[in-house]
Amino acid sequence: MIELSEVSRTVTSGAGPLTILHPSSFRIEKGRTVAITGPSGSGKSTLLGLLAGLDTPTTGDVSIDGVNITRLGEEALARLRGEKIGIVFQFFHLLPSLTALENVLVPMELAGVADARARAAALLADVGLTGRGHHYPSQLSGGEQQRVAIARALANDPPILLADEPTGNLDSATGRQVIDLLMRVNRDHGRTLVLVTHDPELAQVADEAIALRDGHVVSQTERA
Amino acid sequence: MTFVLRMAWREFRSSWTRLLFFFLCVAIGVAAIVALRSVIQEVRETLTREARDLVGADLVVLSGRPWPDEVTPQLAAYLAEPRVLDRMEVVETATMASTEGRAQLIELRAVESGFPYYGTLELQSGRPWSTTLLQGRGLVVQPELLVQLGVAVGDTITLDRQAFTIRDVVVRDRVQGRNGFAFGPRVYIDLAELRATSILTFGSRASFQWFARVQSDEVDALTADLRRDFRRSLVSVRSWRTVEDRLGRNLTLAENYLSLVGFSMVVLGGIGVWSVTRVFIQQKIRSVAVLKCVGASSATVLATYVVQVMGLAAAGSVLGVGIAAAGIAAIPASVVTLAGVTSIGVTWSAALQGMAVGVLVSLLFALVPLLEIRDVKPLMLLRADTAPLAGRRGWRSVSATLLIGAALVMVAVWQAGSIAAGLYVSVGLLAVAAVLAGAAWGLVRVVAPLTRSKRFALRHAVVSLVRPGNQTRVILTAVGLGCFLILGVRALQSNLQEEFSLAVGANAPDLVLFDIQRDQVEGVRTLLKPFLRTVPGQEPPVVPLLPLLRGRVVGVDGARTQLATAEDVRRAGELAREYGITFRMDLADNERLVAGTWWTGPSTDTSGPLDVSIEQRLVDEHAMGLGDRIRIEIAGRVVDARVTSVRKVSWDETQNGGFIFVFRPGPVIERAPHTFVGFLQVNPGADVRGRLQRDVVRAFPNVSVIDVGTVLASVREVVDNATVAITVVGAVTVISGILVLVGAVAMAKFQRTYDAAIYRTLGASSRRLAAMVLIEYGVLGALAGALGAIGALALSWGVATRLFEIAWRPDWQTLVGGVVVTALVVACVGLAASIDIIIRKPLGVLRQG
Repeated sequence: MIELSEVSRTVTSGAGPLTILHPSSFRIEKGRTVAITGPSGSGKSTLLGLLAGLDTPTTGDVSIDGVNITRLGEEALARLRGEKIGIVFQFFHLLPSLTALENVLVPMELAGVADARARAAALLADVGLTGRGHHYPSQLSGGEQQRVAIARALANDPPILLADEPTGNLDSATGRQVIDLLMRVNRDHGRTLVLVTHDPELAQVADEAIALRDGHVVSQTERA
Repeated sequence: MTFVLRMAWREFRSSWTRLLFFFLCVAIGVAAIVALRSVIQEVRETLTREARDLVGADLVVLSGRPWPDEVTPQLAAYLAEPRVLDRMEVVETATMASTEGRAQLIELRAVESGFPYYGTLELQSGRPWSTTLLQGRGLVVQPELLVQLGVAVGDTITLDRQAFTIRDVVVRDRVQGRNGFAFGPRVYIDLAELRATSILTFGSRASFQWFARVQSDEVDALTADLRRDFRRSLVSVRSWRTVEDRLGRNLTLAENYLSLVGFSMVVLGGIGVWSVTRVFIQQKIRSVAVLKCVGASSATVLATYVVQVMGLAAAGSVLGVGIAAAGIAAIPASVVTLAGVTSIGVTWSAALQGMAVGVLVSLLFALVPLLEIRDVKPLMLLRADTAPLAGRRGWRSVSATLLIGAALVMVAVWQAGSIAAGLYVSVGLLAVAAVLAGAAWGLVRVVAPLTRSKRFALRHAVVSLVRPGNQTRVILTAVGLGCFLILGVRALQSNLQEEFSLAVGANAPDLVLFDIQRDQVEGVRTLLKPFLRTVPGQEPPVVPLLPLLRGRVVGVDGARTQLATAEDVRRAGELAREYGITFRMDLADNERLVAGTWWTGPSTDTSGPLDVSIEQRLVDEHAMGLGDRIRIEIAGRVVDARVTSVRKVSWDETQNGGFIFVFRPGPVIERAPHTFVGFLQVNPGADVRGRLQRDVVRAFPNVSVIDVGTVLASVREVVDNATVAITVVGAVTVISGILVLVGAVAMAKFQRTYDAAIYRTLGASSRRLAAMVLIEYGVLGALAGALGAIGALALSWGVATRLFEIAWRPDWQTLVGGVVVTALVVACVGLAASIDIIIRKPLGVLRQG
């Protein structure tokens, strides 16, 4: 379970302090799929960064499975991400000098998982990339790169999957495949999936939608 | 650890072309250091050997009279110290050698078995020199004696009523005598056999010497100790490192220059490695963020990239040693021999030093940015506007920077071989780097208005110079520092070469004539005239014959110095020695009046104090000055003299001798017993000197003709070797320095590739892109070159006048040429480095992001 209480984020810009996320509180139950929507600059990615422990809130607390991650140091956060959180980015962010298979391997190697290579190959097969493991990111299409990124996010079987505009950089057909993939891995393994998206279609398939505007949570809707 | 190694291998495997570049840049930096240090070590060893050959020992202790009682026990204790590896006694004295009907003043050198410790004597017969030749009343003589006495090898001559056999003739003898030249042809004799004669008993002028072989790192210290303890007892000490003549000074200059160049090369190599490491780390920032996102700790990430940098630096350093070996092998053998070096190759110590510097500098420069990995915000992967690195520096980063700064200073001290020199150079480099950083700041502001230029290429070139994350500061610092060192080394080189050519220049005499009597002056002048060296188109020179008196100071009554008796003078040390004295109307070419007035005509006084001009040394060392009264004993008579002027003699240009005391001509001094001495330059030609000697001996049997040409030739040879060595080292520095800078500039291309690809996508033609790059890099090169040249001018001035104490001549040609070449090289390298993106399709670059 993810819980946010009165979380805000203020940055200092040239023009003075700028609040990009106003104090917000909500909970995301285990196994749910939640879409965070809103126009550009509404604070969606900021919110996701706070959930992933990639950023620290200015006020309030973020808890994951009852652990307040706001108080954790960088090293503990890195460990937490390695164990509990998988992240998928809009721009994929694969390591360019590693093959697809190795990109998937890295989180498992860091966590000291035994038999990592077989599991990485299985994950690649799961995302439909059988036989592409030895390719470098530059030899893959955008959709394929995003699928490698999803396989990497799933490597350590994390209970939480965070995705930042996962289809934002893909054409609609490829985007649909990626959405289907994310939904499937979420459904099959009972993971919590938090998606930041512009895509109304993607928002439609989520269990809940949290809408942001100008750094405020303007609505939280349950669908099922 | 396995993860770290695995990651290193994966990164190397996939991007080896990019890493190869890094690797080559490190290799070039290290190669430059190794090659230069190897050459310098060889050259230094050769120069050391040659300089030691001239002294014949590491250290010589000399006394102008039998070893005084107060000196003997202390000297014996010193010579028995473990740092003295071996010792032998040598005595030099002047005596008469005769055959039936002929006699000649000779300079006897009495030696013990094993003489000399360094170098050797070449004999006419071709057999190796050995002191056994001297046993059983044997002599080895200089060829002049055969001419003067009309004898041959195998003949006997008489010394002190005893017959000695001439066993061989020495044709090359590099061991210099007590005064640089002798009073007659040199004759070698066994020391025990000299002692068996009565030659040393009658208060004859002899020089008693101890030759010592000393542990190499103790030579300076022992020399200093001996000098300190024997300062007041007429005992002098010299070593090859401290020979106070021109030669010693030139060798010291050459050595200092080589050290400076070696150190500069380390800095240059370091700049290359730094520039490469910086780009390498910058390229890895995104990967660091990704690794952190997937759960890697900062320590793991740090280890991953430290291992990569170290691995590349170590491999690059090994390659660098290989390149250095190949480079040295490419130096033509003729040049190597010219420098007097017999063989040349990479030395172990140079290889180790170069590799250590390569790995250390890479690590040091990589560590600061790598430590900031802690602050890499993985959030940058979510938000494009997040700065990749936190702006403020944590205590870790600050203390690491300080520690690394200290480590770099230690590298500098290690390389320079002296704490003071290392600190001095480090502070100097820091100052130059600060000036360059300031210049970069200024440049960005000065050219900023040009971003509104109507010319596309100019506008975008300026945009590249001023945009955030520009390379202006980095390239200005790297190229500016590089230019500063390369041009500085070049400028010093030309100053030194000029200095060396003066040192053993055309003005040094070949022959010295002694003991010319007053009534022989005209005859000698006439005889010598046809032999004198003439310069075409100039008047034939007048044969320069100077009156020569010998005297000792026996009292001083001065404003600051009071020495009432001869005993007081003796306690003043050096002042009590015998001086050569002359009188003349004019200042010599190598003299300059520094105080008082020079006489305008001869004195007519027959009583009262005589006017004397003293050399600056007496003012500095014995606190004498204008108006002081000095009593000097000349041939048993004490004359009272008053100091009317002080001269500074340029001892470097002693073609006409150098005199501490010069008297005003007048009846009193001219009546004192004196002979004449001549310093001559004769026409070149194999037999000219021999013929002149024969003619002089035949016409004036009492006149000694000493051929200093052979001594001088040895000196000239050593200095010529040093000159060639300096030229070669200077050339290697310039070439490798340029290569290092090419690497540093080219490395920046990785940051330009993406921009160029975008411009290309937006429709910029290849010509436009090329023009942009040329303008941007040309401006950077010209500014860096100009600032480097100004710094080099200051460096060469500072080092020449303060450290080397030689005349400074600005080398404008090199400096202006340096600026032009730098601008061209930087512009061309920038263009060449961008050529692939200018002519290739940009998609691949854009896809890699």
